[in-house]
Amino acid sequence: MLNFDVVIVGGGGAGMRAALEASKEPDLNVVVLSKTFPTRSHTGAAQGGINAALAYKDPTDSIEKHFLDTVKGSDFLGDQDAIEFFVSNLPECILELDSFGVPFSRDEKGRIAQRPFGGASSPRTCYSADKTGHVILHTLYEQCLKQGVKFLNEWFLLELVVENEEFQGLVAMDMRSGEIHAINAKSVVIATGGFGRMYWNRTTNAFNMTGDGTAACFEAGIPVKDPEFVQFHPTGLASTGVLMSEASRGEGGYLINKDGERFMSRYAPEKMELGPRDLVSRAIETEIKEGRGIGQGINAYVLLDLRHLGEKKILERLPQIRQLAIDFENLDPIKEPIPIRPSCHYMMGGIHVTDFRTSSTPVQGVHAAGECACVSIHGANRLGGNSMADIIVFGKYAGLGAIISAKNRAPGDPTKVEKRTRYWQEHFAAMRQKTTGNKVVTIRDTMAETMWYNVGIFRIEKEMVHALHVINQLLEDYQDCCIGDTSQYYNMAFIHYIETGNLLKLAKAVAMGAIARTESRGSHAREDYPERDDRNFLKHTLITKTNGQYKLDYLPATITKYQPEERRY
Amino acid sequence: MDKITYRIKRFDGTREWFQEYTFPYEKNKTVLWGLIKIRDEQDPTLNFTSACRSAICGSCGVRVNGNAALACKTSLDELLEIYQTSTLTIEPLSNYRVIRDLVVDWEPKLERMKEVKPWLIASEEKDLSLGFIQSEEEFHKISNPTDCILCGCCVSECTQHSTNSQGFYEPFIFTKSYRFTIDSRDNAPSQHLTPSLEKGGLWKCVRCMQCVTKCPKGVRPADHISGLRKESMGLGHQQNKGARHAYAFYDDIRKTGRLNEMTLPLKTEGLTKTLSRRIPLALRLLRKGKLNPLHFPRPVQGIEGVRKIYRLVQKEERS
Ligand SMILES: Cc1cc2nc3c(=O)[nH]c(=O)nc-3n(C[C@H](O)[C@H](O)[C@H](O)COP(=O)(O)OP(=O)(O)OC[C@H]3O[C@@H](n4cnc5c(N)ncnc54)[C@H](O)[C@@H]3O)c2cc1C
Ligand code: FES
Repeated sequence: MLNFDVVIVGGGGAGMRAALEASKEPDLNVVVLSKTFPTRSHTGAAQGGINAALAYKDPTDSIEKHFLDTVKGSDFLGDQDAIEFFVSNLPECILELDSFGVPFSRDEKGRIAQRPFGGASSPRTCYSADKTGHVILHTLYEQCLKQGVKFLNEWFLLELVVENEEFQGLVAMDMRSGEIHAINAKSVVIATGGFGRMYWNRTTNAFNMTGDGTAACFEAGIPVKDPEFVQFHPTGLASTGVLMSEASRGEGGYLINKDGERFMSRYAPEKMELGPRDLVSRAIETEIKEGRGIGQGINAYVLLDLRHLGEKKILERLPQIRQLAIDFENLDPIKEPIPIRPSCHYMMGGIHVTDFRTSSTPVQGVHAAGECACVSIHGANRLGGNSMADIIVFGKYAGLGAIISAKNRAPGDPTKVEKRTRYWQEHFAAMRQKTTGNKVVTIRDTMAETMWYNVGIFRIEKEMVHALHVINQLLEDYQDCCIGDTSQYYNMAFIHYIETGNLLKLAKAVAMGAIARTESRGSHAREDYPERDDRNFLKHTLITKTNGQYKLDYLPATITKYQPEERRY
Repeated sequence: MDKITYRIKRFDGTREWFQEYTFPYEKNKTVLWGLIKIRDEQDPTLNFTSACRSAICGSCGVRVNGNAALACKTSLDELLEIYQTSTLTIEPLSNYRVIRDLVVDWEPKLERMKEVKPWLIASEEKDLSLGFIQSEEEFHKISNPTDCILCGCCVSECTQHSTNSQGFYEPFIFTKSYRFTIDSRDNAPSQHLTPSLEKGGLWKCVRCMQCVTKCPKGVRPADHISGLRKESMGLGHQQNKGARHAYAFYDDIRKTGRLNEMTLPLKTEGLTKTLSRRIPLALRLLRKGKLNPLHFPRPVQGIEGVRKIYRLVQKEERS
């Protein structure tokens, strides 16, 4: 049995920001547990930037404008008290990052440079060329080293032990030795990132974005909030889903159909390519549907044209994007337009956070921050540059919250955690011995295809009901899997089996939430209910698992200042 | 070509062996695509790490036909073209302890990286809540070193580190050391630099440039090593072998346009060390007629041109 005061699960931006805060408290024993080495986390893949109304680039920018943009971007589903807290805290949090040593690009006065981004009324996205996430992730890691934060790298969270609504501890596997440990703690921060891999190859996410922490909380009885809101990024590379950052549109890239037309003029005449993601993604899919894309079926695409920006600007502002196009699509954007297609990018939904000041969940001692969680500040649609901002602000406050919990709570009951640990040890042993059963990869691929075709960018009841039916069947098949690897050490086959199970559990919640929400809002676009319905759906979905059953509830969205109005761009 | 074969070095904690996997060729694919195909379709026990599949997380470094590369970024078509074969040998990175198959142990490397204090040390007086002012030019100085993704390709192929792992840092550690030494926001450059000099073997780099050519992100550790050497001399570390060696070159070339091999060891190592270490070699060279103690090189023809270059460089540096 390992003992800590605070355990942080996840070594991405949110996790390490929480760790920096929690480990400031000298009497507390804090540890970060992560299934990958921290700098491998997906935060590093964020290219475009991080929002804060510093008003450097545009002196007329303000916290208030950022507030309104975020509310509007969320299609009025974001909780306005939380959003106000979020945008107000951002400038300070960004300057803090500067003081940590993040190498931000600079303006002519030597201040942090800012660029325009989709859905923002002023250029407020701070950046470091097009490697913003990478440099923030590495800087946070450096600061953790400076502060002597303890890391358990390549440790995998298997279960959050909660009994009678009381947090008891965790069960985790040291992947290298294959040993499964009971971990006792007073509080925990879950920061395990998103779960876009439920669409497997049609996502911008890393292979390991499988929602393990969200699924662990869900299994422990904590609701997932708003799972149906899935953001599709308009510009994934057509063949691999690798992301061409929004910076490519921010810097002035054009979207073009097979007739060479800048088709956004028909969907967002004012903002054009800088319309919010949901709108742009749907515009592209509509073009493809109506035959103005290039190619057929799942391979169809439209073009992202950067050529008019010129070689100098492309090399200076978008070097990584250019490199990605060269490496993964075999063409140079200086000379040719890039084939792109929307891809699943971000999960607005996640672990139900009940108090944004401490990132707490309904279970005392359990905190959650980052993409795995749902505060909700992004509501039905997240704005570009607001997620990095989210992990920095709420990561910090989750760290503070975990300190408060650790000081006010006794450690859990070791016997309960040990009991669950024995279960997992036996399960691991059994799975290594098992020689027959369903292939994990088949289940995974069927899930992804089902989700892409039926619970994707455009949604309709009949298809989603079909998807739910398939997912239920897959959940049954999952009970009888064969992983095909008997090794005790670094058994990735077992890890992948657990990850796939987690995705399945969450995919079911996504489908359920989407079927029940008979309106269109933000990223959730129903062909059978094309209008937003504020009378019935200005509320969050909550899905809870009790006694093996999924239960659906709703919670009103918090509106303080801005009454819902039609979103127009 | 319709089939590709990977010959993969495997390790299960005790046993090591090579195993071959053959699969159908597809156009425009990467080394990682092949590894995943094998794991998904043929052998779930094959282990390797990968995450972002877009060359930013640094997980997927492996050796392909003896050269370190990121599996996710390396085009199969290019390799097949270069090596004119359909069989590729894939091994874990060199100079790492192997955990299983292609998975290697990073912990000792990161422990060592801590020696250069790889974090910003700002002035204590600085009000950190205000952020910094840093010019675009100062930012550009740290731009290349901060591209490092800690993938380990440089470590795997470094000539000096391969033979002297204890006495010579992994190249990326020099990059970290350099990055903080020259960051205009840092207030304690010598704390990042001194460990490279005293523990890292800063002057031992043989400039084989493997770290530069193997880096998948265009990071230039060898240049950062040069940069650190220069910074170290600027910070007053001039009385070590490496610095004296550099000064000897500098003075000789300015004076005559060529190296004086007679005085080089004297200038680099000092009189006592030269006497005790170099005399036997010198005697042997004398005996074979390869060394003439009375020869002091005269300035080469066109020495004025050489000196002009010196002046230009100095002027450039001052401006
Ligand atoms: C390609 C791409 C580009 C993006 N660009 C931008 C952008 O420009 N601006 C912006 O604001 N947002 C952007 N986003 C979104 C943003 O990057 C992410 O939402 C954010 O980084 C998530 O951070 P996180 O800390 O929550 O999770 P992550 O960084 O994903 O970290 C999750 C951590 O949890 C660990 N973990 C997961 N499961 C387990 C387990 N079972 N046991 C132990 N540890 C576990 C992982 O190892 C990892 O360390 C982008 C996203 C993508 C995919
Ligand atoms: S998988 Fe991330 S660098 Fe290759």
